[in-house]
Amino acid sequence: MAVRYGSPLRRAVTFHIPLGLLVCATLFPFYWMVITSIRPDRELYSVQSNPFFTLYPTVKHFQDLFELTMFARWAWNTLFIATVSTAISLFCGLLAGYALARLQFRWAAPLGTLIFVTYLVPPTLLFIPLGDVVQAFGLADTPWAVILTYPTFLIPFCTWLLLGYFKTIPKEIEECARIDGASRVQAMVRISFPLAVPGILSAGIFAFTLSWNEFLYALVFLSSPQQKTIPIGVFTELVRGDVFYWGPLMAGALLGSIPVAIVYSFFVEHYVTALTGAVKG
Amino acid sequence: MADHRIEPMLAESASPAAPAGAVPIAGPTHEVSRPTRLGLLLEREHVLAGVLLTPTLVILALFIAYPFVLGIWLAVSDKVVGRPGNFIGLDNFRVNLADTIFLRAFQNTFVYTFIATILKLALGMLAALLLNHHFRFKRVVRASMLLPWIVPTVLSTLAWQWMFDATFSVFNWVLLNAGVISTRILWLGDGTMAMGCLILVNVWRGMPFFAITLLAGLQTVNPDLHEAAEIDGANAWQRFWRVTFPLLKPIMLVVVLFSMIATFADFQLIYVLTRGGPYSSTHVFGTYAYEIAMRAAKLGQGASISLSLFPFLLLVIMFQLWYIRRHD
Amino acid sequence: MAKREGSTTIDRRVFLKAAGVAAGTAGVVGVPAIVAAQKAPSFPKGTRLNILEWVSFVPASDVEFKRLAGEFGKLAGVDVTVDLINMNDLNPRIASAIETKAGPDIIMMISNWPHLYADGLADVDDLAEEIAKRDGAFYDHNRAVSVVDKRWKALPLCSVPSTWAYREDWFKEAGASKFPDTWDEWRKVGIALKKKGRPMGQAFGHSLGDPNNWAYSVTWGFGGAEIDESGKVAINSKGTLEAVKFTVAAWKDCLDEGGLAWDDSSNNRAYLAGTISATINGASIYFVAKRQFPDIVKVTNHGHMPKGPGGRFYAIGGQGRAVMKYSKNQQVAKEFLRWFMDRPQYDKWMAANDGYVVGPTPHWEKHALWEKDPKLAPFKESVKFGRVPGYPGPPNRKSSEALVKYILVDMYAQAIKGMKPEDAVKWAEGELKKAYA
Repeated sequence: MAVRYGSPLRRAVTFHIPLGLLVCATLFPFYWMVITSIRPDRELYSVQSNPFFTLYPTVKHFQDLFELTMFARWAWNTLFIATVSTAISLFCGLLAGYALARLQFRWAAPLGTLIFVTYLVPPTLLFIPLGDVVQAFGLADTPWAVILTYPTFLIPFCTWLLLGYFKTIPKEIEECARIDGASRVQAMVRISFPLAVPGILSAGIFAFTLSWNEFLYALVFLSSPQQKTIPIGVFTELVRGDVFYWGPLMAGALLGSIPVAIVYSFFVEHYVTALTGAVKG
Repeated sequence: MADHRIEPMLAESASPAAPAGAVPIAGPTHEVSRPTRLGLLLEREHVLAGVLLTPTLVILALFIAYPFVLGIWLAVSDKVVGRPGNFIGLDNFRVNLADTIFLRAFQNTFVYTFIATILKLALGMLAALLLNHHFRFKRVVRASMLLPWIVPTVLSTLAWQWMFDATFSVFNWVLLNAGVISTRILWLGDGTMAMGCLILVNVWRGMPFFAITLLAGLQTVNPDLHEAAEIDGANAWQRFWRVTFPLLKPIMLVVVLFSMIATFADFQLIYVLTRGGPYSSTHVFGTYAYEIAMRAAKLGQGASISLSLFPFLLLVIMFQLWYIRRHD
Repeated sequence: MAKREGSTTIDRRVFLKAAGVAAGTAGVVGVPAIVAAQKAPSFPKGTRLNILEWVSFVPASDVEFKRLAGEFGKLAGVDVTVDLINMNDLNPRIASAIETKAGPDIIMMISNWPHLYADGLADVDDLAEEIAKRDGAFYDHNRAVSVVDKRWKALPLCSVPSTWAYREDWFKEAGASKFPDTWDEWRKVGIALKKKGRPMGQAFGHSLGDPNNWAYSVTWGFGGAEIDESGKVAINSKGTLEAVKFTVAAWKDCLDEGGLAWDDSSNNRAYLAGTISATINGASIYFVAKRQFPDIVKVTNHGHMPKGPGGRFYAIGGQGRAVMKYSKNQQVAKEFLRWFMDRPQYDKWMAANDGYVVGPTPHWEKHALWEKDPKLAPFKESVKFGRVPGYPGPPNRKSSEALVKYILVDMYAQAIKGMKPEDAVKWAEGELKKAYA
């Protein structure tokens, strides 16, 4: 829907100003984070210095981030973990969503509810008994400890999303294919799945973000410095007792989010049209 | 049709339109020669369903079911770290009800969740409406609006902590220099104000998710409906409430549902920003359970606090599902 | 971490077995054991030792510790790894390790954690007695937190004391040539300072360090206490009431009013930004100032906690290292600890800490670094007045719960916020009774 009517003034008031305010409010903390990450230490500790700009920008904090901590390694870990756990969750969610949307079987309703209900169990309750399980499988201090536990909170949402999406694809399309001789599985894989790609993308973005962000399981199951993820590593190494290293902390926060946002921007357009499918009746 | 308990309210709601544009019929037909035994088996719906659901059920059974059952056991035991626990029935819960901090956490959790969710919904809706236009940099703006949600919570909350810091707050700096206030505001130094700050940060972080999801929903609203309403004399406000809002209800409800659940159980944000202070006035279930279980090593008690959430979550969900069913 | 050749390993093992050291029995006391320990006790190839510690606010000490760990590994033919995480994140890791019976072999214990986790920790009586005999008895507070049911559950490592960091120049202007000795004098100076726009600063938020330093020191200083020697809740006393009233008055006249929201790091920042004139803190302010704020460090000195009618007290928990019961490498662990707590090693580690830790026994009071910088003297002396939270009651699981719930801190915070001192004390009494039930 384009802004097609109204005078320039009206457009400004009903569109540009609200949008501008919204963007400013959302991005202001990032602006502050950017300034903090390029500001020399002296200014960081001074009450007088203007928080909005600095006359002596420095890249020292970014350098420190890479030299004093294993940031590059953590970035790689986080990327690997998020990607694989997203893949697993999408795989499970895709299959489960299809089954619950399309197939008729006795346990459909209770199973669907069950999958949904597991979402209700808070990680702060689960993590100790979960530690037992992780230990029993010998996964402690390996990325697999989190890769296999993240899907516990990713699968329910992915399932729901794809379930809704499948419901909007008319059954007739699949039935045509089956009349033409395709098996159920073939119809599923060759017809329904490709149509669900946008839904898969949106579920993927959601799952990836949550994995990227996760703290508690990563804290407890990953112990050696080489295995840490960005949230844990940055927080651990740059918050020492009562001394916070603000410059590198904010540098870490920025580097830990902007690349992801850039990648998302390519998917967002797809994502938006994707949920279209999930919403339509 | 199979599942009507959790089937998205979306399926049966307003516009029953098929996906715009013709969808090509299945590609070249396959020469299906002799169907294999396996192939025949998979033709049967409940077998296929079983196969498709297996990966999900295995992961959930291993990594949630067992720990969850264990969690329930913990809540009715007196277990502390290192010692085996004994069954003590509902004693933990009784202790909780007499604990002023627990009751405060109870209240806080609800206040926090309800207010934050309403705000996220309202602002997310506003954002979605605004982003639903074509304008230059649309792509960049949409992507950048996602940033609060992408950046790891621990790190962005640290940034907010400093922005609220009694000595260094950038907000104080601005307000003082603009002459709006004469003494600095102690953002996190007062129970009520600190709760407000927590809600603010939660809304900031969560709004993008609402915005993007609702934006997708908006894009399905047929513009013809709007034109028709306009011709009929409805103004923008009426158009929104009569046309847009009802069509969005299904997806709104689902997003609100998932968001509420996550906010009820929120831990990281409060833990980093206030740790439950000042004077234990901002504890929520998540943080209080953690402090008891981890710092006092009372796993049983901590589990009972965590589980106190559960009945309310169930109630919320049942209410929402009932509401949806009513309107189908 | 070099691995030994086969034959040499066996020879050494035989030798050490004869000396009774490798068998891990109650060590032979005296020089031979020390020499033997330093000369590389050795263990089967492939033995690993994993140590979990906090991330120290003195980065140099982390570096030194890792180096020493590596040195031990080479000497003993053991693969030593050190994991460092935030102080606050140690608890979930420890809980998880004890519950799953797997994890690090040695874990750092802060304050009275040995009481909390006693069931998961191995006895280290032999080690403790050996070191006490050699270096002098452990300080009371170190001993109190490490001995559970008459058994040593952790080896005291050090203490990280806090004292008052203050601006000598501003105090002089306000009429104090040295740091006030009693709370009454402190209040007089504080009033003068705040009038000049230079309040002192104190945290009353929810973090483990600074808020508790005030809460306990002031309570004890005025004669109050959470519990008495028998373990009964005794907070509702004249002494406590005086302490609360004093704090409320000091809040208005002497302290920076942002303190209610402060955590452990806020006062550091405020001091270095020049918005407060004094604050209770570990030596981290001094450390950062030395490196980044030379003009502040010149006028900064440290003063003792003022004395009240009840005496002079510091809340000190001390730190220790525990060997985990589930560990399959307990002998190695004990050897490491024995070696680490001995002369050249502990010396170097203490030096790397630049004066921010105090040894667990009187022996380390003679360390050279105390001569180097007289401004650090109060830290060294503070241990004489150190008491564990929960004093005079026994430090145990219940005092941990009181700490975790910040009952004492919240009592002061609520009184500051406007609750009547009597009501605040009554509230604390109710909460403590529940915790000690």
